[in-house]
Order: sequence, then structure tokens, then C-alpha cells
Amino acid sequence: MDHLIDRIPLRFEIYEEGDISIVNLNKLKKYVQETTGIEVFLRGNIYENISMDQVQTIAQKMAQLRIKDPEKEFLNKTPLKGEVTYEEERISDQKWKSFGILYEGILYQKHLADFPLKKKLNERYCSILITNQLVGTWDQNDHRYHIRTSIYGSPHIISVPGLVLAPAKPREFYIKRQMGVPVEILKEEYKGRFLEHGDLRTTEILKGYLIQALFYDLIGNPFCDDSDCRLFNSHWQEEMLHAQLDGKYEFCSKHEALLKKIRNTNKEVQSLKMV
Amino acid sequence: MPEKIFAAVSEKEVTRAIVGGFAKQFIEYVESDCLIIGGGPSGLMAGRDLALKGLKILIIERNNYIGGGFWIGGYLMNKVTVREPGQKILEELGIPYEEVTPGLFVADGPHACSKLIAAACDAGVKFANMTIFDDVILREGNRVCGAVVNWTPVQALPREITCVDPIALEAKIVVDSTGHDACVVRKLEERGILKTSGYGAMWVEQSEDLVVEHTGEVHPGLIVTGMAVATTYGLPRMGPTFGAMLLSGRKGAQIILKKMNKD
Repeated sequence: MDHLIDRIPLRFEIYEEGDISIVNLNKLKKYVQETTGIEVFLRGNIYENISMDQVQTIAQKMAQLRIKDPEKEFLNKTPLKGEVTYEEERISDQKWKSFGILYEGILYQKHLADFPLKKKLNERYCSILITNQLVGTWDQNDHRYHIRTSIYGSPHIISVPGLVLAPAKPREFYIKRQMGVPVEILKEEYKGRFLEHGDLRTTEILKGYLIQALFYDLIGNPFCDDSDCRLFNSHWQEEMLHAQLDGKYEFCSKHEALLKKIRNTNKEVQSLKMV
Repeated sequence: MPEKIFAAVSEKEVTRAIVGGFAKQFIEYVESDCLIIGGGPSGLMAGRDLALKGLKILIIERNNYIGGGFWIGGYLMNKVTVREPGQKILEELGIPYEEVTPGLFVADGPHACSKLIAAACDAGVKFANMTIFDDVILREGNRVCGAVVNWTPVQALPREITCVDPIALEAKIVVDSTGHDACVVRKLEERGILKTSGYGAMWVEQSEDLVVEHTGEVHPGLIVTGMAVATTYGLPRMGPTFGAMLLSGRKGAQIILKKMNKD
């Protein structure tokens, strides 16, 4: 347990990528500070103050990380000119709205660490990027890429559209869609049972994912088996909505105890600083 | 004897009028400012906007009819949908539409398509229908500067019956608006000049935005618009909404005008 205390981050640093205006960052900051006792810094867009040369380098690399076919472990080694141009425009516009390109998540994370966040990451900080882009990882079991809500590491990546697209919607939704029922009708029929783009519940749901990032840094495991705990690794939309919005409690007793310990430790550190 | 309604014209004069009219236009358009391959919504939109700026535009279309898939929406039903801000173009072209849900608009396919074709014609676009793209013309640095074309029916005939050589059309810029087939881009791929991505397997509602954002010059001298953009870049699949086709055509035209210093 002492090791755990050694690993408590000195601070959270939250970065943004693209337009995430649906997320109330100040609300998230307040929640994380109150839940963990750790100070949170909102660092703005990762591409702020980036030079034109860097834009070109980053864009070239980003274009190489596109997953074209989710069923092939494939990297876009020689991207087309138009793909690089698209990335340059995306990087240059800090409020870039559109998404839909799936990026190789592990390499995306490495690329962020190597370029835009190179001098900003610190192993004593819990650095989190909240992005409006889609990231995926290759699954060795079914040999295909899957969209992810989050990829933990340095930095942690949490994808806002990933919250909508990664956890599966109710099984019947897909069956009916295959039978030709228009998506608009299905959305109405299953309204509330899954998150949608621009959903006002996004900030509330993200709270649990930020705490998952903290537990990844502390114990290497961001998840919990308890479906009522915010750390539950949800594969279905309904699981995610339950764990984040209407679980029996916020955190299971084990994780609540750990969070309490972190809060108390921080209080002690703060009081020592005062002395 | 009742008076005849139509003027007395002999068959040979009708034939002369067809051949003469076609030949005159064809000779004039063997060289154009912009050669658009594919007469679907994005090609028509690009052609119309370019012609309005005074450019000499020829659209080649493999079918007899112009308009591509814009006549019908999903499942062969003749209602076409656009999402905001696509309705602004419908408005501009005088196409009646209704708002179905906030941000989603529906119009009659035949009305929308015929108005778009008429708008392109009124702007000065010329067409070569029943004409199929066969190959690209490349110049120094593999720059695309024209297309080799043939009559569409020639391709349907067995080799032993007909062996009709194609002919070449030159242009400052070529546009690939051939839909999912992305014929021109694919031809460059066959030649090992570039590598496309194929059709993306994912379904993402945002793919309309991506089509517009990726519209542009894919290779020197070649602009790609419409669904050909999705094939070229492997963008996700999307439903039968045409806003992206219209906006992609418009963006393609803007890029061409900029390249020609006409904007």
C-alpha cells in the first residue's frame, strides 16, 4: 500500500483535442479534485502555439495512423496528399468538429507523447487527453480493430465520440438495422438507452473515465468487476449508462476506500506544506 | 387539306443537323478548361459553379441519362434527403423541399435532379453522354491533363465484333466524380501512381463532413469529388443523403477556381 502512496500523481493535467464543447471541463475539474484531493490543471488544446513546421510533421504522422480497414492490421505508410492536407487543417483548427477517421490508438498515444506533448508529460502527473477523434486498438482474439472509449497510458486518451460508438447499443438495435429499419426510427425507439453525439450526459459519464485513468497510474488496472462502480469496464451502452449514471453507488467499497486514502494522504501532504 | 403543324424538313436535313451540331460542339470541347468525369450530383454541381465563372466545362457520362443517383433516394424511392446546410443549395437552385426533422430536409428526386441538370446547362456546361472513361492522359511529372474516352456501347460488345479505338480529350484539370467506382483515381492506382483505400467498412454519421473535407486535388491535375472521395480515402459508409455530394462538388469547384486564379 505504501507503494500506492508513492504513485499518487502530483496533479492531473487535462488536455483537449478538437471541439469538445459538449464537455464541461470545469465541472470535471471540480469533481476530480473533490473525489481525489489532487489538483487538476486544464491545459487547453494540445495544438496551441504549434509552429507550421510541427503542423506538417504531425499531420504526416497522423495520416499514417489511419485504420482504413478494421479487419486488417494495416498502417497507412504512404498517405495520400489529401489525407495529409486534411490532418494539417484538423490540427490548425483547434475547434475542428468532424470525426469518423479511426486512428491506431496505441501509436496515436505514442505520437502524442513524441510530438505535441513531448515537453509536457511528466511521470508524476496524471496527463489526460480528451479528444473528439476516434481511436481503436487491434484485438488479437477476433483479429480486428475496435473503437475504444479510452486508452490508458501516457498520456491517457479518452475519446468523446468513442463513448458513443465503442460500447455496443442494445442487441435488437443492430438486428433491426440489418433488417432495414432506418437509424432515425431506431434512435427514437431506443432513445435514452445509449449515448448520442452531443448528449448532455457526456460530462457526467466522463467523470468515471478520469478516475479510471488515475487507477491505471496507481495500480496498473483502471477497471473494476462491480457493474455498479464507475470503474466498471463497460462493453455495452446500457452498462456504461448504469455504471456512470445510476449505479447503486459511485465506487465500490474497495475503490472508495482507496480514494479515501488518496484524499487523506493529500490532505496530510498539504498540511505539511503549510507547516 | 388541313395545314401541316410542322415545317417540311427532309430526313437528310435532320441527320445533318444532328451530326453538324454534335461535331461542332465536340470539336470545340476536345480541349476544355475542366473535364468532369461523371454526371452525378457532385459533378453537376462542380460543373455548374465553374461554368458560372466562365470556364469551359465538359462533363462525360457513361449513361444516357445525366444525374447519377440523384433521381432516387434509398431503396429506389424517389425522395432525396439533404442535411443542413445542404438545403441552402436546394434553395439556390429553386428546388422545393420540406424539413422533416430539425436539420433534415427532403425533396422530390425528379424535381431536384432535373433542376440541377438544368442549372448546369443554363450555366453553360456541355455534356458527352453515353461516353465512358477509358484512361487518363499524363504529361510531365505524371500530371493528369485529360482523358481517353469511348462510346459506352463499345464496351458491351464482344471484342471479335468490334475493336473501336478510343479518342482523347484534353483539359487543364480533370475531375473524378464517378461515385463509388472512382474510375479515374483507380486508373492511376492501376498504373502504380497512387494507392487508394477502398470503401470504409464503418458506419459513422459524420462521414458526410469527411467527404467534403477530403474533397480536393488527389494528384496533380486531378480533383476528386463526391462519393469518389470516400473510395479514394477509405472514408466510412454513409446513408443516402446528398448534401455532401452537392457541397463536395461546390468545394471541388472552389479549389479549381483557386488553382486557376479565377476566384
